[in-house]
Amino acid sequence: MPDSRPLVWSCAALTGGIVLHVDRVPLWASAAALALVAWRLLTARSSWRGPPLIARAALALLLVAAVLTRFHTLNGLAAGTTLLVLMAALKLIETRTARDQLVMVWAGLFLLLAACLDRQGLVRAPLYLLQAWLCCAALTVVTARGVAARAALALAGRTLALAAPLAALLFLFFPRLPGAFWAVPRGEEALTGLSDSMSPGGITHLSSSYETAFRARFASTPPPAPERYWRGPVLHEFDGYTWRRGAAPAAARQPLEAAGKIYHYSIELEPSRHRWWFALDLPARSPDSKVQLTNDYELLAAEPVTQPVSFEALSYTQVRASGSLGAAERRHDTQLPPGRNPRALVLAQSLRAQAGSDAAVVKGALEFLRRGGFEYSLDPQPTGADSVDDLLFGTRAGFCGHYASAFVALMRGAGLPARVVTGYLGGEWNPIGGYLVVRQADAHAWAEVWLAERGWTRVDPTAVVAPERLRRGISDLFPESMSAAARVWRASAWLTRLMQGWDATNAWWNGHVVKFTLDSQLNLLARLGIRDPDARYLGWAFAAGLIGWLAIIGWHIGRDLKLPRQDALASAYVRLCRKLARVAPARVPHQGPLSLAATVSARRPDLQQRVDALLARYAQLRYGVPAPATREQDLRAFRRAVERLSLREP
Amino acid sequence: MKRSAVFAALTGSFKTRLREWMRRRQGPDALPVSLERRRLYILPTRAGVAFAALLFLMLLAGLNYGNSLALFLTFLLAGFALVSMQQCHRNLLGTALVAAHAPPAFAGAAATLHVTLGNRALRPRLQLEAAAPDQPVVITDLPAAGEQQLQLPLPSRARGLWPIERVRLSTAQPFGLFRAWTWVHAPLQLLVYPRPRGALPMPVAPGNKPGTHSQGGSGADEWLTLRPFREGDSPRQVDWKAYAREAPLLVKEYSPPGADTRLFEFAQLSDPDIEARISQLARWVVDAAARGDRYGLVLPQVHIAPDRGPQQRHRCLAALAVFGQAHA
Repeated sequence: MPDSRPLVWSCAALTGGIVLHVDRVPLWASAAALALVAWRLLTARSSWRGPPLIARAALALLLVAAVLTRFHTLNGLAAGTTLLVLMAALKLIETRTARDQLVMVWAGLFLLLAACLDRQGLVRAPLYLLQAWLCCAALTVVTARGVAARAALALAGRTLALAAPLAALLFLFFPRLPGAFWAVPRGEEALTGLSDSMSPGGITHLSSSYETAFRARFASTPPPAPERYWRGPVLHEFDGYTWRRGAAPAAARQPLEAAGKIYHYSIELEPSRHRWWFALDLPARSPDSKVQLTNDYELLAAEPVTQPVSFEALSYTQVRASGSLGAAERRHDTQLPPGRNPRALVLAQSLRAQAGSDAAVVKGALEFLRRGGFEYSLDPQPTGADSVDDLLFGTRAGFCGHYASAFVALMRGAGLPARVVTGYLGGEWNPIGGYLVVRQADAHAWAEVWLAERGWTRVDPTAVVAPERLRRGISDLFPESMSAAARVWRASAWLTRLMQGWDATNAWWNGHVVKFTLDSQLNLLARLGIRDPDARYLGWAFAAGLIGWLAIIGWHIGRDLKLPRQDALASAYVRLCRKLARVAPARVPHQGPLSLAATVSARRPDLQQRVDALLARYAQLRYGVPAPATREQDLRAFRRAVERLSLREP
Repeated sequence: MKRSAVFAALTGSFKTRLREWMRRRQGPDALPVSLERRRLYILPTRAGVAFAALLFLMLLAGLNYGNSLALFLTFLLAGFALVSMQQCHRNLLGTALVAAHAPPAFAGAAATLHVTLGNRALRPRLQLEAAAPDQPVVITDLPAAGEQQLQLPLPSRARGLWPIERVRLSTAQPFGLFRAWTWVHAPLQLLVYPRPRGALPMPVAPGNKPGTHSQGGSGADEWLTLRPFREGDSPRQVDWKAYAREAPLLVKEYSPPGADTRLFEFAQLSDPDIEARISQLARWVVDAAARGDRYGLVLPQVHIAPDRGPQQRHRCLAALAVFGQAHA
């Protein structure tokens, strides 16, 4: 029976690769791939050669078509990975020879690469190492035949451990590129976070994800809790139910003057696959050449955030606008869908009639929300197409999105330019890392109203309905909104601290490992005292390091190739034989001491007596019954005699 | 087709030259040969080249996307490959070709080269490959501080004395990314006996009539002579009584029933084809040896007196094997 181990191990390498992507590729794809693996293993013993070529080709075409239907492309990481998973599993079906099995190991390594390109989180790193280990062990099982699983794992593990120092050296000093050879594939599906539209009426359950959205480190003290508004997409267009960003009229950004404190800080964004970057309301400038500061003071990057990003930012929390609003923009931001939300429009007009100024309209609307018996809820009733009317006069319960939407609709009904701003509110101080963590659960929406004397002014209607939201996160207000695990963490002080430590470790990982770029390398070299790195010297240093490492590894591996230490008698005998080889033919391996003595005497009769005595002595010491008391002395005497033996001719 | 033939011829001549160069470089070997650093060669295997291509791709992707984890894994796997290169080299280094011997074979029959590989290190050696030139590879593991005997297939050949130019020792383990190898150019020869063939009746030596016993003995148990003990003799034939009198080990030689003394003469055969005559003589030698006859062989310039036993059989067949060839 053929050894089934190579097949099992090549299947394992492939399965490891599939598992790394199991939450990213469509469920049917990973299920199909794993089913093919299982099928191959189950039929390994049978003599059936698998489905004919036609059937395999048809299956391949079918799978390609399925991927195309799902993704509309074969390009891009998600589609490419799905295709790779499926094709590798299909190839497994016709795997017979060692070479086919090697291809499976390569597929496992390819999937590992794809997983790295996809996610680089700290939790993933051990999984990647495990997969690399598995593939290396599979390599030896597939190529060597008959190697036991445990031995293969031990061998691969030891080899990888020896390779680790070189890997660390290369990681630190291998030159990084300032740019890219080819473009990063365009955004795929968004993971989490904010999008370009908002339909609060359709959401009946707002789940709060404990995932980190970003971290903010402040050079000095962070802003007080009620000022921790993090600005995201600004929404202008309303159809009565959904807010959209829409196409803003071409207008200049309103110039700003700082009225309060200026904050310098850095933000570390977690990958969201959105193009939005977040900054403290309001960002004063674009942090990066690839990021546009829009007219609405949003930060919009050219590429989606697929890897952790960190940037330095500058924000004013209190501003004065000095310009005026253009007519087109005024029209754009006072538009309401005709015929929708009629009762809200009536309310807005009555507020307008009662108020003496724009500021008084705002105040009146907030008063209405405060006294109207509104409730802050994460599980509101769904609203109809007239979502604002339904909220204000029907359900009277909702979350930030509902109130921001209704408030802006009221303002527009009263003739004031207003818009919805989405982003995050809050942030939890992490004392271990010394930064603010903003989670997906802190997502928020508020309003901005144009007041002639102050420009765009932030108004948060949620703060009126649920004032405590300003100081505390949603997870504190609604513990039941969190996952069971998150509730447990929050309940215990030391678990909270543990989680903070974990988050700080993640932040360190993102900042120092994942984002280890050309700049970080230059910083490291500068810290080592190399200010202007010269590629040539670095190359030499690098080569020296490589050779040094290879020498150490060679020495390490070669240690147990050394012969076992000979005993004193044997080494003395070897010395004697070497000496005698100068005057007579060298001892051949099968020759014993007495026969050697005969050879030597034949060539040099003058030595006969001495050599015979010495070799007889050796034979006695080696093979004779030893006298325990004198053996040590005899041995020493023999060694001395060997040293003293003179081969000079008389 | 034509192109591939030209390609094959080119690579063939290159390989021949390479072998010649290595033979000159290493010089002749005398067994036992311990493989030292100077004579080991190492190159990546196909799998190694594929692995390198994969690593290159990972490096490009990692650099392009500034992906630290992909880069780290690339470097880790590159280091892994380098360590595996050293391990592969060490797996072969210090191995000894302790002994090699090719027992004579008949023309057209399978021949083998018996080699003994030795490992004096304290670590077992994984999957060593040994092969005669252009012959299938035999794979073995070597235990720590142990030896292992292998039987390497040799091609079947026409009669004669064939040099075995070299023995190739190699290993691709661990991990199969590199193959370290060396050639041992020991003075090894394969003696190929002529193929026994022919149907002529066996001649009898002058003075002996077929069917009568040369010594007139009456029974199968009657022994003829004493000769020194040789490896392979049955202990039942040993003269234990003599041994008990402190004589050396002697073997009683019996005359099997119907054993004759015969003389096989080249000149008496009339077939014009010399190879056919050789084959016929070989046939007689093999048959006579099987019957336990005393027989002699007379070739032009070679005369082997009648005798019996394995040595005689070998002497005769060897003389036939090299008859008419270079040294004759």
